[in-house]
Amino acid sequence: MILIAASVLVLIPVAYMVLASFKTIPDFFGNPYGLPAHWAFDNYTRAWTEAHVSITLPNTIIVTFCSVAGSTLLAALIAFGLCRKERAFALTLYTFFVSGLLVPVQMIILPLFILLKWFGLFGTLAALILPYIALGLPLGVLVLTPIASSIPRDLFSAAQVDGASELQIFRRVALPLLKPGLVSVAILNGVWMWNEFFIPLIIAFTPSSQTLPVGIISFIGVYSTEWGLVFASVVISTVPIVVAYLFMTRQFQSGLTAGAIKG
Amino acid sequence: MLAQSRQWDGRGGRRRRQSALARRYGHLLFVAPGFVFFIAFMVLPSLAGFAVSLTNWTGVGTDFSFVGLDNFVEALGSWPLYRAAWHNLIMFLAILVFQHTVGLFVAVQLHAKPRFMEVYRTILFLPVIISLVSTGFIWTLMLSPNIGVINALLKDLGLGFLARAWLSDPDLALATVIGVQCWNVLGWAIIIYLAGLQAIPEELLQAAEIDGATGWVRFRRVVFPLLSPSFTALTVLTFIGQFRVFDIVYVLTGPLGSPNFETDVLATLIYRSAFGGSSIASNDVRMSYAVALAVIVFVIMAIASTFLIRVLRRREISA
Repeated sequence: MILIAASVLVLIPVAYMVLASFKTIPDFFGNPYGLPAHWAFDNYTRAWTEAHVSITLPNTIIVTFCSVAGSTLLAALIAFGLCRKERAFALTLYTFFVSGLLVPVQMIILPLFILLKWFGLFGTLAALILPYIALGLPLGVLVLTPIASSIPRDLFSAAQVDGASELQIFRRVALPLLKPGLVSVAILNGVWMWNEFFIPLIIAFTPSSQTLPVGIISFIGVYSTEWGLVFASVVISTVPIVVAYLFMTRQFQSGLTAGAIKG
Repeated sequence: MLAQSRQWDGRGGRRRRQSALARRYGHLLFVAPGFVFFIAFMVLPSLAGFAVSLTNWTGVGTDFSFVGLDNFVEALGSWPLYRAAWHNLIMFLAILVFQHTVGLFVAVQLHAKPRFMEVYRTILFLPVIISLVSTGFIWTLMLSPNIGVINALLKDLGLGFLARAWLSDPDLALATVIGVQCWNVLGWAIIIYLAGLQAIPEELLQAAEIDGATGWVRFRRVVFPLLSPSFTALTVLTFIGQFRVFDIVYVLTGPLGSPNFETDVLATLIYRSAFGGSSIASNDVRMSYAVALAVIVFVIMAIASTFLIRVLRRREISA
């Protein structure tokens, strides 16, 4: 009973979001709940052009994909490099990376803003991707280093005897064994990068480099009453991640929980 | 030096004869790319941020001078900082109670393995995946006094006297923001507690039953103490989340934390000090002051979360 009630309470706002995206303006006033009197599919086509979803959706996909790939790979390399305690600086560097989790974004956002301008990256997608890669590292190192440490060192020595270089050992031996951790890290970082609002609000306010969450906000200012268009954009920004979640429910739940508990 | 050791590493690896240098520092080559990113986009900006907080720089132009700790003194003596921190604290405590009661209760229900357990689990965790911006928009519309579904529903149920201007009533706005967040974060409590419940060995529960502990007594004396790690994790997660909360407040009540700053939190205060809100004159916008606020919040949060983890861990051990 409780579970049904809780599930319904969770689903009503989600269903409401989808319904609202098909409503016309008179519908919002005359018919606050219930199905749209007239299914306004053109909310979506208009959101695509007028709310610039045609720009913000590809931007969000590119930014999330590049940042997740870059951050996960670099974190895996670091984890492999630091996985033996007796190595020089291993513990120091590990602590150094992980302490990045404590740094609040507000403290670094303005110097970052200036730095990116200085590099001439301002207004490009790289202005989001590069900081995201760096910001994703602490969690990646935190999750992956213990997994890399638990790989028996005999496996590495055996590969070495077979003549493999360190890089080959990383690719052929360590990376496959890190795979469950890599999935967790990719999901953890992917979800926040896709949904991140504060950083792009500051760094990516030029229309051509906006991501979905910021795009919706800036659109609100212009057409404050066009709720149908706003919700079409909200649905478009939510559907990809929800679909990914439904396909990999277990990985999302365990990955996010692992990150939350350790973080 | 670095380039040389890279060469050594490549050749030496194949011949299984590494130089002493490569053997000792070769692993650092794997760390180097990430290290460069980390230094460039996290460490340098953090240090620069701290340096800026010691000046009177407004954020534009090159006209500024060193003012020492003036920004910190001013921030710590300013009323809005305490008001915002107070709102963060209320949000934290309210959501903490919600997570440890409602969240735990739902997790216990799920742990009893009802039919469709997987379906419930999938649904109940769903809001965690949905962004706070989307959550904010959904609830802005649902709670709207004119076109929102909630007031309309109350009226049609004959409960029209309960209809409120949820987000603009000074007495209700903060509670409403908390309520919306509860919808978004419940999934965390369920998943974290469920993992804790599943980790409890069956024999322990049977032993308790043999000793005559059943129902509530068994839960209170046996199960709940064993859930301490989940309790700690959820408490720390809620603490960090609630003292950093920004997106949902920005969308629901704006960067001013309206009405009349009733929902103003630390992050919106910092944002406003750095970038301005709609009703703040531009000469009030001071980047250096905003960064000083961020540094203060960072220091307090670091101390508080260390303290929190230590206290809760001790409780885990003694439990």
